[in-house]
Amino acid sequence: MKRKIVEFILILFFLALQCTLGRHIALAGVAPNFLIIMPVIFGFLNGSNEGIVVGFVSGLLYDLYSGETVGLSALIFLYTGYLAGLFYQKYEERELFIPLCAIFIGDFAFNFIIYVLNFMLHNKLDIWFYLTHIIVPEAVYTVAVGLLMYPVLRPLNKLLDKRERKRVDITDERNI
Amino acid sequence: MKKKFEFLFKTKNVLIIFTGLCVLLIGISVVAYNFFTPFKNLVSSIVVPMQKGMNYLGLWTSERIENLQEIEDLLAKNKELQKEIDDLKAENNQLKQQTYKIEAYEELFQLANTLDYPTTGANIIGKGTDNWYSTFTIDKGRKDGIEVDMNVVAQGGLVGIVTEVNENSSVVTSIISDNSNVSGMLMDTRDICTVGGSLKLMDKGVINLFYLEKDVVVRDGDKIVTSNISSKYLKGILIGYAKDVKLDANSLTQSGYIVPAVDFKHLQEVLIILEKKQQ
Repeated sequence: MKRKIVEFILILFFLALQCTLGRHIALAGVAPNFLIIMPVIFGFLNGSNEGIVVGFVSGLLYDLYSGETVGLSALIFLYTGYLAGLFYQKYEERELFIPLCAIFIGDFAFNFIIYVLNFMLHNKLDIWFYLTHIIVPEAVYTVAVGLLMYPVLRPLNKLLDKRERKRVDITDERNI
Repeated sequence: MKKKFEFLFKTKNVLIIFTGLCVLLIGISVVAYNFFTPFKNLVSSIVVPMQKGMNYLGLWTSERIENLQEIEDLLAKNKELQKEIDDLKAENNQLKQQTYKIEAYEELFQLANTLDYPTTGANIIGKGTDNWYSTFTIDKGRKDGIEVDMNVVAQGGLVGIVTEVNENSSVVTSIISDNSNVSGMLMDTRDICTVGGSLKLMDKGVINLFYLEKDVVVRDGDKIVTSNISSKYLKGILIGYAKDVKLDANSLTQSGYIVPAVDFKHLQEVLIILEKKQQ
């Protein structure tokens, strides 16, 4: 429960960060996507289930704050979390390559789907322009931010883990 | 009890359940978008105060950083002069800030006077979450009488239109946003045209101008204002100045660019016109 609350507060915090800090650190008009980093990191560290739930919640909040279609971001975010969760415990937690790849793929897919739905279908077919000016820069920038956030979120995750494990130990003793 | 539902926690099933939930939500938002309004209110009522706090924090830290740098500079100087310089600088900064503020407010006040409509001022407190559309959040909402489709102006020109209203904040879609289309007209000849934002042109600081009849003569710098036939925008608000208008390939219409009257990059305060075109 404590874990869920902490995660929810983190998501809210990053949503607020997205709308305030995002404007100031934007490079060439492109701001990183803070929220897609959450499901990837939590999915990678705790498995697909966690990735799916975190992805769903952060995507839903993202949509509810400023979205055209509610549920679309949630769908893509939760699949991103699921994807990252597939590599749970298969790699060293220190290994950064897998989560960063998942962030890149998730953000790329997210923006590409937005492009297809809102731009390509409106006869804005210059895909190369949108790829090079919005989609890829945002993905790269988000990966860079993820690189900075991972060392902060991993210890936090460990801390939450420890607390949970302690409680499990106590209940085990009682059972004996 | 727990065992009975354990199958639900298998990853595959979790994935299916949440995917179904998302599809359901997308379906609802396509069919009945208003369903989400209370939830949106809830989210914004949580996030907006956080945003305000963060903005405050950001200003505070940048002030602190500035102060630190100033102190470093001063330490290198004579001790006697130190205090005097510090005082003078602080005073100077304050005065400068005040004059900037006064200038900005004076500009807004003048604009409010030139418009015949009742207006209210607002500060920009946040931007939209994605990079595709240029929307921003302002710190006034339903409580202050803001409604959807109210026009937003600043610096003597059109900024955009209110597209979403929450209890304490609202979302404004600017005219440079890719999904924005405004019906405009040439100020002197009253020829109708359409003004559309474009993501592609955003870096160049211009927006699109199209559907101008082929025999209309347009020179660079001609003023374009909102037209009388627009369904949402009030008549006669300055949009910007025409640029590079050329005949289209179809030989029926002309198109070109508009340099907006508003500097969207450095927008801090806006005015909202409280009157709507369609009551």
